[in-house]
Amino acid sequence: MVGFSVIGKPVQANRSHEIVTGKARYCPDIHLPGMLVGKLLYPKFPCAKIIRLDVRAARALPGVISVLTASDIPGENSYLYAEPADQPLLVTDMVRYQGDALAAVAAESEETTQAALEAIQVEYEPLEGIYDVRQAMQPGAHQVWPDRPNICDHLVINHGDIEAGFKQAEVIVENTYTTPLIEHAFMETEGAVAYMDETGTMVVYSSCQAPHRDRLQIARSLGVPENQVRVITPHIGGAFGGKDEAHVQIHAALLAQASCRPVRLIRTREESILTHVKRHPIIIRYRSGASQDGKLTAVHAEAIGDTGPYLNAGRDVMNFVAATLSGPYYVPNARLEAYTVFTNNPICGAMRGFGIPQASFACEAHMDALARALDMDPLEIRMRNGLETGMQVPTGVTIREGRGMKICLQEAAQLAGWKDRKKINRQPAPHMRRGWGMASIWFSIGMGRNIPDHAAASLEVTRDGSVILHTGAADMGQGAHTTLAQLAAEALGVRFETVRVIGPDTHQTIDAGPSVASRQTFISGNAVLRAAKPIRETLLQSASEMTRLPSELLQLRDGIVLADGEALSLNVAQCAQNALQNNRLLHADGFYAMEYPEKLPPHNYPYAPSVFTYGTQVAQVLVDIETGQLTIEKLVAVQDPGRVINPGGARGQVEGGIIMGLGYAVMEELLVEQGITKNPNLGTYLIPTAKDVPELVIKLVEVPEPYAPYGAKGLGEPPLTPTAPAILNAVVDAIGIPLTQIPLTAERILGAIEAARPTDIQNSPKNLS
Amino acid sequence: MFHCNYLATESLEEMLTCLHEHSGEARVIAGGTDLIPQMRCGKLSPGLLLDPLRLQLNQATQSEQYIRLGASFTHSQVLSSALLQRELPVLVSACQQVGGPPVRNRGTLAGNLANASPAADAALPLLVYNAQLEVASQVGERLVPLNQFYTGPGQTCLAHDEFIHHIRVPRVSPNSKAVYLKLGKRQAMAIAVASVAVRLTFNDSNQVVQARIALGSVAPTPRRAYAAEALLQLRRPDLSLIRLAAQAAQQAANPISDLRASDDYRSKMVLVLTQRALEMLCKDRYPVYSNGRD
Amino acid sequence: MEEIELHLTVNNLACTLMVQPCSTLLDVLREKLGLTGTKQACGEGDCGACVVVMDDQAVNSCLVLAAQAEGTKIITVEGLAMNGKLHPLQHYFAEKWAFQCGFCTPGMLMSCYALLLHNPNPNAEEIRQAIAGNLCRCGSYQGVVEAVLATTKMKHEVSHGGV
Repeated sequence: MVGFSVIGKPVQANRSHEIVTGKARYCPDIHLPGMLVGKLLYPKFPCAKIIRLDVRAARALPGVISVLTASDIPGENSYLYAEPADQPLLVTDMVRYQGDALAAVAAESEETTQAALEAIQVEYEPLEGIYDVRQAMQPGAHQVWPDRPNICDHLVINHGDIEAGFKQAEVIVENTYTTPLIEHAFMETEGAVAYMDETGTMVVYSSCQAPHRDRLQIARSLGVPENQVRVITPHIGGAFGGKDEAHVQIHAALLAQASCRPVRLIRTREESILTHVKRHPIIIRYRSGASQDGKLTAVHAEAIGDTGPYLNAGRDVMNFVAATLSGPYYVPNARLEAYTVFTNNPICGAMRGFGIPQASFACEAHMDALARALDMDPLEIRMRNGLETGMQVPTGVTIREGRGMKICLQEAAQLAGWKDRKKINRQPAPHMRRGWGMASIWFSIGMGRNIPDHAAASLEVTRDGSVILHTGAADMGQGAHTTLAQLAAEALGVRFETVRVIGPDTHQTIDAGPSVASRQTFISGNAVLRAAKPIRETLLQSASEMTRLPSELLQLRDGIVLADGEALSLNVAQCAQNALQNNRLLHADGFYAMEYPEKLPPHNYPYAPSVFTYGTQVAQVLVDIETGQLTIEKLVAVQDPGRVINPGGARGQVEGGIIMGLGYAVMEELLVEQGITKNPNLGTYLIPTAKDVPELVIKLVEVPEPYAPYGAKGLGEPPLTPTAPAILNAVVDAIGIPLTQIPLTAERILGAIEAARPTDIQNSPKNLS
Repeated sequence: MFHCNYLATESLEEMLTCLHEHSGEARVIAGGTDLIPQMRCGKLSPGLLLDPLRLQLNQATQSEQYIRLGASFTHSQVLSSALLQRELPVLVSACQQVGGPPVRNRGTLAGNLANASPAADAALPLLVYNAQLEVASQVGERLVPLNQFYTGPGQTCLAHDEFIHHIRVPRVSPNSKAVYLKLGKRQAMAIAVASVAVRLTFNDSNQVVQARIALGSVAPTPRRAYAAEALLQLRRPDLSLIRLAAQAAQQAANPISDLRASDDYRSKMVLVLTQRALEMLCKDRYPVYSNGRD
Repeated sequence: MEEIELHLTVNNLACTLMVQPCSTLLDVLREKLGLTGTKQACGEGDCGACVVVMDDQAVNSCLVLAAQAEGTKIITVEGLAMNGKLHPLQHYFAEKWAFQCGFCTPGMLMSCYALLLHNPNPNAEEIRQAIAGNLCRCGSYQGVVEAVLATTKMKHEVSHGGV
């Protein structure tokens, strides 16, 4: 290949003009004549029986158009993310967490809607509830469900012979690691605008990641066929997994149906923090054995995830945890367990990383603990165990393309000056300690085997050579539309600026699956390439006829026809006109489903992923040992996305992931007491500001992935994953005291320093694990 | 959302009359950065908001004896005031650490004080600068020393019909040095977990003739550590005296545990921050004094 | 509550509106004037999505009462472009990928615009300081810094006869 003409070029984001001029419309910006304000009523208690719910007074208020309770839902009263569909849209008799909705109201104004909510009379019988995940696992604990145990799932992935593995080990280290409950904090809260159009179609503008799944859910709850529902995504102000599962769009549609008027339902920030799904807090007990040369012989890790009261994505997240818990290493014997546990705490579901950040945190903190026990350099132990192409991992999968692991590790170490770090002053002041830490991760792309994981896309070249790309893939800021447009432009041989992306709009676009699992580049990308292929052939056929040259000699590039690399005075528009003139089709659909050519034995973990991306980050930190305050001086990140489609977008994904990972490491934590969140706003749930970002050194390496479009496999989630463990490892290096919990608040760090023997602060970490 | 009436009074008289007539129902709104969020969540619901913006109390002036800041003087104005950079540098340093620029552009010092949060950044430098509040009511004027202003968390000694129109600070001796140290949970937009302001005035024999130590976020109100200050009086502080004073400051604190930190951590931080502040201020004075810090 | 007549200039246009005195400037801009470029993301002054420039200063419009905006000059994101031509900040925000989802972008732009009114040649640290009150969950802070640096460089070149 001569070199790409569009791929890898720094094109501007799709629809950037709208964004910088303020014209971009998000759900709260959509205004329709006669539009009503929708709101949901949330409970006073996180666990209670509803004795009485009386909406008559609310209904009677002037200006209140609809008040809905569970019995008013014509179709299914449940979210359909999980099976069984256990989460009601509007509760009937039981409140199981602080974010359960009791009623939905639509009224003429914000005020009136608020007054209606206040006029709804609810009589509760508060119940005991269960709020500690370990207690919830005990026999005799308060059961969240009468007919299901609190331990709703226990996945075990076995590989090799774990007992033999530990017998072989010359060093065994065991620790327990803890991660907190985390908020997505997307800048645009959940929202939707719904109205019935003149054809009787319920049109829903939804700030969502899965428009086609939304359509299914809305239709199911409205009690109408899917083709009478139309879901359109306007601009989406961030999602990070928190808008994968449906939030308020079904309620908005129900209200619009009942009111016969448009309804806009936007959650306030506080409602958003209290009610939508969170990142699972997970406790991971990690035990690993190695021989004296540092090679892992066995890993036994057990993860406990508090999923809240409803299944949602709980089991799926914990599956991902188990499947990746062994890390990007060769582990010949493993037992990887994940418990999904019900409590009455806030519901947990998808969040950028889908369990892998938690798994990686434990795995990488533990790798350093093992390194310390062996008195081995953290880089060395990772090099010794790092995955390579052809190795088998505990899920039974053979790594197709594993070079990225060690390439990223070595590059990151190099960029960070890892080998020279001992020359730098570790004690720049009597009360300051400097430290370095690294973390390597692997990240699975796609949903996994035996799970529907496909996308369709459609391309049309018009008479003037401009291109329309229809995609059902939601772009919530991760740049999917820009990437797909670049892939289309490259594949068709046209300029990027001539491609216009339409969608998602379920009346015009076909299901591309949810924008999750960093999958759109890979899966929608391949769908786009498959759509482009026949169209390109048709254009070349026309070019061949018009130039009287065989089509094998011709190329299309930047909208021009070339013969053997030389530009001709023939462009794609002319070829398009010729094609249409000759009754040839310039439109095609593409479809792609994630491929798993490797067949695994039937007893194997059924959802094992096969595509992985790798990354390593190195953190340099400074700790004030009198206050515990932590300064991150520098962060080096090397990531392997297979192929960089858009450098600007890729940089954004990596930096953004790192900043989110940094927040995870040092400042983010939802504080919940007896099921109630105590810090439900952006002044008390802290995310990084511009001043919290350290010096970042970022490098992207390209190790093309088989089957991926131009080798590009995805970048949305992975960069978030190594940051927290790299920082933790750096802090441990700085203070010489083991740490196992994030966030690393000043108070926690100081507490660890004070709990250790005073002499340990001066010594380098030798016999610590 | 909230409902109330609003009036931008044309004169100080009108302000005082309205405050008196609507006693208890009316509140002064300046930048609104504290007031509006509290009204939104229902914590406060005044029937009438009185805005002093037309009173033109947005200047900083100096006389021989005092520096006066008008009630509407914002945190941003503090930052860009050459007068204050020269005369009250630690007030400038503290205001730099309030919120972010949009909050500083609207939030006023007087409003920050009247909101009476124990975490108020501006309160500590003003306390160590011996600030006084010029308070007016229909009855007349009174001067309230800032260290007598706070009566409890969110509470001040102001009556409902009183209005702070100026903050005044006595001119600061050139032999005085001060520092403000704040611990927060992130680098901007962070409410203090613990903070201290310390000011020492020295005589020609290098003795401390006035020590002022103010503590933030570690008690129901911003407060002075009087016992600690007394320990330093007329002494040339060495490391062990500094330590004693810091311990006394720790005793003066009465922190609680909340979302941001535990009482135990806060208490420890009073000791650390006070010690550091004193060391920073004493370092240059005593050539033989070495604290081993850069 | 009785409505009052509010007079202010928004994006160089004089406006007279009837408003609830204690609604916010943000409400006035979005609901009354239909200028939905400025966003609400928290309503409490914690995030900066609602930042506009009022009398040459960046302010959280969710914390300004409508009545307090009387007689003021407001610039919102919609007022940056002139005659269809993008303001250099807008141009460079797009070129330098200073956003991903774009929801924080209007507020971010206005904080940067306000910075340049007072400091035409800021360094990276000063830019970060200027946007410290603008949260970006997508993490595009570095892109914003680069966009502002590019803007000042371009302006410098233009005013000094270069480019």
